[in-house]
Amino acid sequence: MTAKTVVALEGVEKAYGSVRALAGIDLGVIEGELLALLGPSGCGKTTTLNVIAGFAAPDRGRVLIDGADVTTRPAWQRGLGIVFQSYALFPHMTVAENVAFGLRERGVAPAEIAASVTEALALVRLPGVATLRPAQLSGGMQQRVALARALVIRPRVLLLDEPLAALDRKLRESMRAELKEIQRVVGITTIFVTHDQHEALGLADRIAVMNAGRIEQLGPPREVYERPATRFVADFIGASTLLEAHALDARTVEIGGGLRVDVRLPRPLVAGERVRLLIRPERVELGEGAGMLAARVSGVMYLGDHTEVQVELSSGVRLLATVRAAPPLGPGDPIGVRLPADAFLEIA
Amino acid sequence: MIGRVIVGLLVGFMTLPTIVVVIASFNPTAILAFPPAGLSLRWYENALTYPQFRRAAVNSVIVTGASALLALPIGTAAALALVRHPLRGRGLWSAVFLSPLIIPGVAIGLGFLILAARFGLLANHAVLISAHTVLVLPFVIRSVAVSAANLDPQLERAAASLGARPGRVFRRVTLPLLRPGLFAALLFAVIVSVNEFVVSLFVSTRVTEILPVAMFTYVVNYTDPTMAALSTLFIGATFVAVFLTDRFLGLSGILHIEDHR
Amino acid sequence: MILLLPAVGVMVLLAVALAALLQFSVLEFIPGSLRTGGLTTRNLDAVLTPLYLRYIWDTVLLSALTTVLTLVASYPVAYALARSRSARVRSLLLVLTLAPFFTGAIVRTYAWMLVLGNTFIRWPVKLLFEPAGVLIGLVHFSMPTMILILAAAISHVDRTYERAAASLGARPRRVFWRVTLPLSMPGVASGSLVVFAWTFSAFPTPELLGGGRVKMIANVVKDLALDAFNWPGSAAFAAVALAVTFLLLAVVTRALVRTGGAAA
Repeated sequence: MTAKTVVALEGVEKAYGSVRALAGIDLGVIEGELLALLGPSGCGKTTTLNVIAGFAAPDRGRVLIDGADVTTRPAWQRGLGIVFQSYALFPHMTVAENVAFGLRERGVAPAEIAASVTEALALVRLPGVATLRPAQLSGGMQQRVALARALVIRPRVLLLDEPLAALDRKLRESMRAELKEIQRVVGITTIFVTHDQHEALGLADRIAVMNAGRIEQLGPPREVYERPATRFVADFIGASTLLEAHALDARTVEIGGGLRVDVRLPRPLVAGERVRLLIRPERVELGEGAGMLAARVSGVMYLGDHTEVQVELSSGVRLLATVRAAPPLGPGDPIGVRLPADAFLEIA
Repeated sequence: MIGRVIVGLLVGFMTLPTIVVVIASFNPTAILAFPPAGLSLRWYENALTYPQFRRAAVNSVIVTGASALLALPIGTAAALALVRHPLRGRGLWSAVFLSPLIIPGVAIGLGFLILAARFGLLANHAVLISAHTVLVLPFVIRSVAVSAANLDPQLERAAASLGARPGRVFRRVTLPLLRPGLFAALLFAVIVSVNEFVVSLFVSTRVTEILPVAMFTYVVNYTDPTMAALSTLFIGATFVAVFLTDRFLGLSGILHIEDHR
Repeated sequence: MILLLPAVGVMVLLAVALAALLQFSVLEFIPGSLRTGGLTTRNLDAVLTPLYLRYIWDTVLLSALTTVLTLVASYPVAYALARSRSARVRSLLLVLTLAPFFTGAIVRTYAWMLVLGNTFIRWPVKLLFEPAGVLIGLVHFSMPTMILILAAAISHVDRTYERAAASLGARPRRVFWRVTLPLSMPGVASGSLVVFAWTFSAFPTPELLGGGRVKMIANVVKDLALDAFNWPGSAAFAAVALAVTFLLLAVVTRALVRTGGAAA
C-alpha cells in the first residue's frame, strides 16, 4: 500500500518585490498525516501556507491537490479548511452563523446546516455557545469555534496558521493534545505552520524545517531532532554545541588544543580530514573520575526541571551541558567532562 | 472591470466641474463657448486687479493667519490633555470639541452677528477671527490627537530618566514627535479658514469681508468668467497643497486609510 | 486640566453666541430696527406656517435624497480607495477625492453653475435653478466627506475576514455582501448621519444653484437676517436647524460610544 499524496508543491517560487519569500519549494503531503512547517519568522512558512490556500499566487511552480493543478484556482474554489492565527471569526455573526458560513455558501439545506453546526460544535467540545458572539468567548473557545468552522465543510485538507500562538502557555499545552486528538478522530490531512519547535515535535507526524524560503529538512520529529541534516536544523531544533574537528584516524578526532576524542559516526573518517561535529547538551556527561576531560564551569543556569551548565575545556573549547538535578556548581569550579563516542553527529 | 468603469465615471463626475472651470477661465469672451474661440488671460488680469478681490485677499490673510495662530496652540494643548489624561466622559468632551463641525453654519454666523452687534464690533476683524478660531479648532484637535495617541509615553519617560527636565522633554521629545500632526493641523486650519464662507458671510462687512464672501457677491452680480479665473487659481493652489502633503506626510495616514494586510 | 482651559474658553464663546441666537428667537421683531421688543412666540409660530413649513419639508426631502445618492455614489470610490492593490491608483483617487474637499464651497458651487447653466452642454432637462440641479450640487459637495469616512471604515476591515470567507467557499461578490459590507456598516452609519446633518444646513449650494427658486432652511435664515434684517425671525429658523442637528449629533455620539468610537 503506497501512501497517497494529497497536496503537492512543485518548484514553487515567490518574491515580494526584491525579497525572495520562497526559493523553490518541493513538498508532498501524505493522506491523513499532520505535517508541520517549522521555521523562524520570515522563513517562508506562512507564504507556503498562503500559496496552498490560494491567497498568494506563486511566481513559478505548481500547486496540486489530489493530483489536479490548482495553481490558478481562486481560494474560494479550493475546498480547504483554514484556521487563521487571529481565528478571523466574523464579529458580526453569532458562533452558529460563523460555523454555518461555509455550508450556506455551498447551498446546504437549513435543517442540515443546523445539524452539522451542532455536530461540529460538539466535536470541538463547545456545546451551548451557538447564539453567542465571538467577542463573548475566551481565546481558547474562539480557537475551537474557528476549528469547527473549518472542519464542518469537510475540507480535503486542514491548514492551521500558528494555531496555538495566541493562547497562554497552560492553555496551549492542553489545546495541543486536543488538536492532535481531533485530527486523529477526523483523520484529516493537516498542515500547520509554527515557529515553536515543541509544538512541531509534539504534534506533527512529519516536520518540514524551513529557512530562507527553502525546506532544509523533511522528516519525522525524531529524525529531524536526532539526525539534523544541516547546521541550521541542528541550531533551530534543540540546543547543541558545534565542534570544528579534524580526523586523526577512522574513529578518533582532535577537537582543538590537542584534545582527542573517540567518535562513532555512520561512516569511517579519513585521517587528516576536517569534520564539523555536533553534540546535544543532554549527551554531554559531567562528573569526576578517570578518563574524563578536564574542564571548568563558566556558567550555570537553573531552569527548574533541569540545569544548563556551560563548561570550558582546558583547550578553551566551550560546551553546553544539561543535567537533571541542580548540582552545587558555580563559575570557576573544576569539573570532568565525558563525551560519549555515539553522541556525535556529523553536520555537512 | 465593470467596477473600474463605475469608479471611473464617479471620479469623472467629481472632477467635471473643475475641468469646466479651468476651460472657462481661458475663454476669451464673456459668454462661454466650447470649443473656445481662443486662449485669453484677460479674466486672470481682471481677477487680480479687481479692487474688492484685492481687499478681500488681504482680509483673508489677516483672518486666516490670526485664527491659525490662535487655534494651533489652543488645539494642541487640548489634544494633549484629551489623549494623555483619561478624563471622565472623554467621549463627551470629544463630541463637544468636534461640535463646530456639525453645528449649522447659519446658526453660528447669526449667533456671532447678534453678539457682534451687541458689543458694537460689527466692522471689526476680531469677530471674524474668533469665529474662524471656533471653526478651525476641531481640525487642529483631531490632527494633533492622532499624532499624540501614537506617541509612546515611554519615550518621554526615557528622556526624563536621562535627566531632561519637563520643559526640555517637551521641546526635545514631545514636540518633534508631534510634528506630522502639527503640520497637518496647520494645513487643515489654513484650508478650512481660507475657504470658510457661510459664517463669514454673516459677520463680515464690505470692509472686512474675506475672499469667499467677495467671490459670492461677484457671482451673484456678474456672470463673466473672472470667477472662473480666480477659482482656477484656488484649485491650483489646493492641488499643490494636497499633492505636497500626500508626498511628504502621506494623506492616508492623516486620514486613517491605512492598508491593513 | 489647565491645558484644556483655552479650548474650553473658545467653546464657551460658541455657546454664548448660540445662546444669544436662542434668546433672539423668542424676542419680538420691530420692523426697520435691529432693536428687539419683549418676549414672544410669534417667531416660532411663523416657522410653522404653511409657507415656511414647505421650506423645512423641502430641506428634509433634499437632505434624505442627497444622503442616499451620496452613499451609493461614494461606496465604490471608497472601496477602490481602500482596497486598490496599486499604490499609485490609491494616491490618485485620494488626491482627486480630496481636492474638491479642499477647494471650498463657493468655487465648487460656481463650477456647477458653469456646468449646469452653460450654453455649450445641452442638458435634456433644465437643471440650473431647479431642485435636480441643487441635488446634483449637494451630492457632489457631500461625496468627498462620505468617501473619506467610508474608506476609513473599509480599510479597517481586517482582510483576514475576507480570506476566511473565501476559504469557506464564498466567491468575491459573496465575500463583499456577507463580510466586507456588514463590517463597514459603522462607516455607512456615521457617514450618512454627517452628510444628512451637513446637507440639512447647506447654504451656498441651494443659494447659487437654486437661484431663489429652490430654498432650504439656511437660505431662509440668510434672507431674513441679511436682507429683511429680521434677526428674531431668522433666529427662530436657525434654532430649528440647530435642534435637528443636535438631535442627530446625540444619536451619532451614542452610537459611537456604543461601538467604542472606532469610526469617529
